[in-house]
Amino acid sequence: MHTAARAGVAMSAIAVLALTGCAAGASPDAEPTQEEAAPGFLAVADDAFDGGGDLVVQVDYDTAEASGLDPQGAATARSWMLEGLSYETLTTIDENLDVAPSLATSWETPSDTEYVFTLADDAVFSNGRPMTAADVAGSLQRLIDTPTTWTGQLGPIASVEVTGDLEVTVTLLEPYAPFLAALANTPAAILPMAEIESGEIDITTEMVGTGPLVATAHRQDEEWTFEPNEHHPDAASLGFSTLTIDIVGDEATRAAALRDGSADFAVLNSIDSAELLANAQDVSVVGQKNTDFHYLMINSLTGDEALQDEDVRFAINSAIDRDAINELAFGGSTAATGVTPAGLPDSCVAEDLPSAAHDVAAAKAVIDEVGGLELDLVVYTDEPVLAQIAQVMQQNLAEIGVTVDIQQVDYATYSDQVYGSPATFDLALSWFAGYADPAMVTTWWNPEVAGFSAVFMKGSDELDGLIADGYSTEPGADRAAVFENLCAVADEQSEMVPLVLRPSTIGWNTESLSPTLSSDEGYGNFLRYITQFRAS
Amino acid sequence: MAVALWSLRRIGAALVTLVVVSVLIFASVRLMPGDYIDLVLGPLATEAQRAQAVAESGLDDPVVAQYFHWLFGVLTGDLGYSFVSNVSVTDEFAARLPVTAMIALLTIVVTLLVGIPLGFFAALRSEGSAGAVGRIVSALGISIPEFLLAGVVVFAVSTLGLGVSVGRFAPFAVDPARFFGALVLPVTVLAVGCVAVVARNTRDAVMNVLVEPHVQAAVARGETPWFIIRHHVLRNAAAPILTIVGALIAVLLGGTVIVEFVFNIPGMGSYLQTALGRRDYAIVQSAVLLAAIVFIVASLLVDLIANALDPRLRLTGGSRR
Repeated sequence: MHTAARAGVAMSAIAVLALTGCAAGASPDAEPTQEEAAPGFLAVADDAFDGGGDLVVQVDYDTAEASGLDPQGAATARSWMLEGLSYETLTTIDENLDVAPSLATSWETPSDTEYVFTLADDAVFSNGRPMTAADVAGSLQRLIDTPTTWTGQLGPIASVEVTGDLEVTVTLLEPYAPFLAALANTPAAILPMAEIESGEIDITTEMVGTGPLVATAHRQDEEWTFEPNEHHPDAASLGFSTLTIDIVGDEATRAAALRDGSADFAVLNSIDSAELLANAQDVSVVGQKNTDFHYLMINSLTGDEALQDEDVRFAINSAIDRDAINELAFGGSTAATGVTPAGLPDSCVAEDLPSAAHDVAAAKAVIDEVGGLELDLVVYTDEPVLAQIAQVMQQNLAEIGVTVDIQQVDYATYSDQVYGSPATFDLALSWFAGYADPAMVTTWWNPEVAGFSAVFMKGSDELDGLIADGYSTEPGADRAAVFENLCAVADEQSEMVPLVLRPSTIGWNTESLSPTLSSDEGYGNFLRYITQFRAS
Repeated sequence: MAVALWSLRRIGAALVTLVVVSVLIFASVRLMPGDYIDLVLGPLATEAQRAQAVAESGLDDPVVAQYFHWLFGVLTGDLGYSFVSNVSVTDEFAARLPVTAMIALLTIVVTLLVGIPLGFFAALRSEGSAGAVGRIVSALGISIPEFLLAGVVVFAVSTLGLGVSVGRFAPFAVDPARFFGALVLPVTVLAVGCVAVVARNTRDAVMNVLVEPHVQAAVARGETPWFIIRHHVLRNAAAPILTIVGALIAVLLGGTVIVEFVFNIPGMGSYLQTALGRRDYAIVQSAVLLAAIVFIVASLLVDLIANALDPRLRLTGGSRR
């Protein structure tokens, strides 16, 4: 070999060794840690950490809502998180996913249909005007009068009245247990109603809330800049001067930014990112549990004819190995769930569901009776883990004689196939936000109320009745019994089949940031404790 | 006169092509499965929300009316508004096109400075080991996918701490140093493929000219190699090199989707990609039309310049056999 060629090969070898050598110490089993720094928290900001710097957060996508920045129209967890930086709600949820005071400092329930809220006297909108009871009543009334996705979650509200200077009373038509939890999410934000009604503020383009931060700049799909709301009670103690939220689509780029310090905090969708960052000295990667969960849609209306048969659908359901999904797609960091998210109080236990028996022989016998099946399984590319779940399911279903053709498409195509009328799929994967009360997500199992599921599932009166019972039964043993029954019926009908919880992977640079992060989250708001973050 | 007629014919053909392309773009965007309303409202939206969004976005107008509305807008410089941000597409293009153009310009400069000399060197030393190394390097450069190279570069830069940050772009007006700093890696990744393509084409073009009789005759006359290259090779090899460089410029100006996505550069490519995913029609159809215009104009200019450089092309209708 000539000298030049030898030199080229040597240089290439050095380059490869340099790159691989840096990753050589990474453990192949590196997973995001779920170890708690304090009860209920993955991390707690250190008061001694140097604060006052610019906080740079990188996320994978921006909010994109037809209603613009109007929080009441926010339909996705990303919008809830971003708009939740500027807006506050009457209630919030704590690290245990229990309802806690926020703009309402306390409340009383004279009857099971009456809620009397006492409001904070120090809440001030970012335009400098103190919040009034009229703002609270007006905001809730606006949400009722202009129905959005969240309106249904608020329950059967009969009236909202100002009953004192700092008091608002909400009366329900009938008992609705998730009411306080539904008030805790951004779409139930309290708005500056006087300015909205006078036309002074267009909240589809401007965020004026009582929250700790004010958005001062936004370039769609690129960047947000937030500055402290000087009227917020925590303004003086904020541990950073500005918050920049960069929209960075590529996961590896976000990981690289954490590693080189150009980002302080980042959302990492894949558990593999923990492995990529395993040797980065100044980066901590954690897995935050969520009530969100993945589920399988089995099209019993317009899919393969055999899927109209409940026995066939249940055979498919019972052949799915949730443990394998957990291990292979999530590295063991999640758990199986029923319709009510595992971990929430009164939720059903996935291991007790009829399908948990995982009777592959019985399932195979059912499929053999229909002569085997060939089904398509649609997933969308924005959520790579769906393809991993699909692959596990493909192997599971092969064991019972179901051949699965996985179709990975962009979300627009997916949306057309799955939610269009008629729906043109056999099986499809997606996920639901699990919220903070187990009754809330059960709504989607009633196709008449949910709307979107009416194109691919029939539902049943029995299930609808149990969903209604879940709303009206007080938390406790009775409600747990309702949910146990509800989960079992939904499991047997197998039209929307819950699989496993959907954890978040989050990283931060420990040299530049000391964050507070709860172990569990109900509304996808990983910046819930932003006022405690300290960035140098 | 003949040259003018030939040029007019080419320009006329380009205009007709553009009109046909505009129809195809408009139709294909609307034939894609899924639409903005379903996507942005999501499956949980109410019928009232859906109806309101359709009316607000103008999607309830007849499709033909929508096409002419868009075409009229294009001709008058109004490309419409993004469904998502409600920001003028023209304004967004004005902000993003310079970024993509700067990436394209820097990439082409690097490509010309490295690729053409490399191609000449490889042609002149085609028989030796240097020629073999050149061929291997060039083949590698062409065959390594951009996404792979970009991924390796991101990993290497963040791991080895080379002082270059990934994904922290700033507009030139805000921070010129960060602006150019953010372009270093994308330009490097793009230049690898472009240099390889240009070097390979330059090498082939030069080698084709080197075996032509007039070059052999010049060698026989005892002219120096440098004189032969300058007077007999450069101009004759220019047409194919120009063609490939023209095509590269057109492709780069159209938006380098993968590189802009990976390095988080807010150029035309990343804008188009996001809009495509959201079925944001005004952006997609205008961005694709712009890419088509750039490609057609670049091809036209290359043809005109090649004609000026090589009169033989006029005799063969533009293609040299």
